[in-house]
Amino acid sequence: MSGDPRSSAESVTGDRVPTAVRGFVHALRSRTAHIQQQTALPDEPTSALREVNPDAILAARFASEVAAVGCDVRRVTMENWLLSIEEILRGHAARSVLIEPGPETALTPKRAASLRQALAAKGLATMEDPSDDDMFAVDVSVTGVVTAVAETATMVCVSGSRTARGATLIPPAHIALVARSQIVPDLFDTFEQISAWGQMPANVNLITGPSKTADIEGVLVTGIHGPGSVHVLLLDE
Amino acid sequence: MGWLSGKLRLRLAEATRNTPVVEAVHRVTWRKVDARRVSMDKLRHAENLRTRAERIRRHVLERLPDYLEQFVTQATAGGACVHFAPDATAADRIICEIARSRGLRLAVKSKSMTTEEVRLNDALAAADVRVVETDLGEFIVQIDHDRPSHIISPIIHKDRRQIAGAMARELGCAYTEDPEELTSIARRHLRDIFRRCDLGITGVNFAVAETGTLCLLTNEGNGRMTVTRPRVHVALLGIEKIIPRLTDLPVFLKLLARSSTGQAMGAYTTLITGPKRSADRDGPEELHIVLLDNGRSDILAGPVPEVLHCVRCGACLNACPVYRNIGGHAYNSVYPGPIGSLLTPLLWGPSHEELPRVSSLCGACRLACPVKIDIPELLVRLRSLATDRQPRIKRWLLRGWAWGMNRAWRYRLGQRLMRRTLSDDGSGWATRGLGPLRDWTGQRDLPRPGARSFRQLWQEDLGDER
Repeated sequence: MSGDPRSSAESVTGDRVPTAVRGFVHALRSRTAHIQQQTALPDEPTSALREVNPDAILAARFASEVAAVGCDVRRVTMENWLLSIEEILRGHAARSVLIEPGPETALTPKRAASLRQALAAKGLATMEDPSDDDMFAVDVSVTGVVTAVAETATMVCVSGSRTARGATLIPPAHIALVARSQIVPDLFDTFEQISAWGQMPANVNLITGPSKTADIEGVLVTGIHGPGSVHVLLLDE
Repeated sequence: MGWLSGKLRLRLAEATRNTPVVEAVHRVTWRKVDARRVSMDKLRHAENLRTRAERIRRHVLERLPDYLEQFVTQATAGGACVHFAPDATAADRIICEIARSRGLRLAVKSKSMTTEEVRLNDALAAADVRVVETDLGEFIVQIDHDRPSHIISPIIHKDRRQIAGAMARELGCAYTEDPEELTSIARRHLRDIFRRCDLGITGVNFAVAETGTLCLLTNEGNGRMTVTRPRVHVALLGIEKIIPRLTDLPVFLKLLARSSTGQAMGAYTTLITGPKRSADRDGPEELHIVLLDNGRSDILAGPVPEVLHCVRCGACLNACPVYRNIGGHAYNSVYPGPIGSLLTPLLWGPSHEELPRVSSLCGACRLACPVKIDIPELLVRLRSLATDRQPRIKRWLLRGWAWGMNRAWRYRLGQRLMRRTLSDDGSGWATRGLGPLRDWTGQRDLPRPGARSFRQLWQEDLGDER
């Protein structure tokens, strides 16, 4: 077990496991050889542990949980979702709006285009692929989500080439467009889905409500580092 | 507390007399205990989930080398660079070297117990890297040159006046006691840091062997900022944090936030697999995972390996009547509370071996633990291991006790002796034990021994009524 950190700190190729790490695992194996392997990995189906069953009214449960974690939730249709976003932006007196579509989300590139058009008609410029500095100047971001969980009001957002990690994090307000069909019952279902993706993206976020802290005397304050306001538009497609 | 050393006894007495701290800790811990109870009660299968979580942790730790190997292989394949640190000094050296070789000067840190454990901030400061804590509580601890006193709520011991004073003094802002305003002052200050930082340092809540994924939980979003803004991300990972599969994560996620804050889910659960991909819009170009042993393999091979099941939720601290009345600093350790009383002597050795005795073994921690660690049982196990180093007088007394209990005549003699020595002050309770016994009788309700023993009563009166 070589403990020289310098050698391992410099082998940053990232394509092979450094000798120090291998050596440690090897040493640990002989040190723990006496431990009996008697506990099987629990493999019973998680269906018995579900909080929300598939036959529940998912949209209703999701909407009520979203409200409970401190988000603004609105049921919208294909006819009025644009108006709803305009109204929210007015409420925030937004001057700088970031729109980040994703083909696997309810905010498809096509819908994003019509949103841009609608906002342009109101004289509101929208951003695409902002620089770092511009990201900090965004008032409101609009994104879709990959999945939403009825049990906990959690929304799964994948960052990558289309969506920046900062888009759902840095602006003080975030509007998330969620299609009814995207809602799964339970946290277990979300992880079944993620597990089936094959390759994990570099950064996946499960977002549940606004950024919050209770560090000062246990008093709840929202919007410490991430968005203090999260608006969820539940879209009936 | 009768058998604790003078130094520890002094520390405890001082802590219990610090009324503002005790009150602050009472306020927050009771609120958390209630919040936990409400949210766990709502969970339909809480017990089954706890059992499953416990079994997963046990399964992994029985096969830790295999899972570590799988994790390391997967993480490396995903583009992360994995390092191994046998101890705290090595971890500090590795991380300082990463900063030095890449010219990183401004580090942001997301709250992490392992980095506290290795005193990383001091090491980085010595290497001329500025480290800024970004969790609000840890940020306040840092600017006020204080120490965290709870693993989830680091400034549980501070009231808003102290916080307001520290912020006004250190940041030069207008004095305010309003938590909203204080939070927004911190937000503005830290945003500026996040724009300029080049190194992000985090701990890890769970590491998934199957995919090499790191799971990081925060409520504030500072963890996400830390893995979004800087160009290098260093994660310090205790070797015990491995879980087998992605599908095992929800078992823990369902329990963790409920146990620590009463939330069903924390605001942000971040899954990190490798550095940013070439086409990604933002994120660190390098991901370094530093595997930290620092005594963990000794614990795993030793008599209380279950300690490593801990997921650091802090529920046992909130539930503990001792913690509530002495606060975190009295433990004199990075890890306070019941779990700290186990971890501290195991990680830092004999100078802390009295800590397992700072407990009434009431069992509230065991009931609160999301992974069902039998903390009282482990405390007793550690106590018994420390026997040889106990005060000589205690060993003599225990030996005498064993001698006395072994023969009927010795037992009777003991009874007679007790009747003589445990005198009554008129209250019906024995309060004036002899010598060191006084500590014991002074704090516990020991009924004065009856004038006659049960055997005497039986022979003289009760026996006749048969």
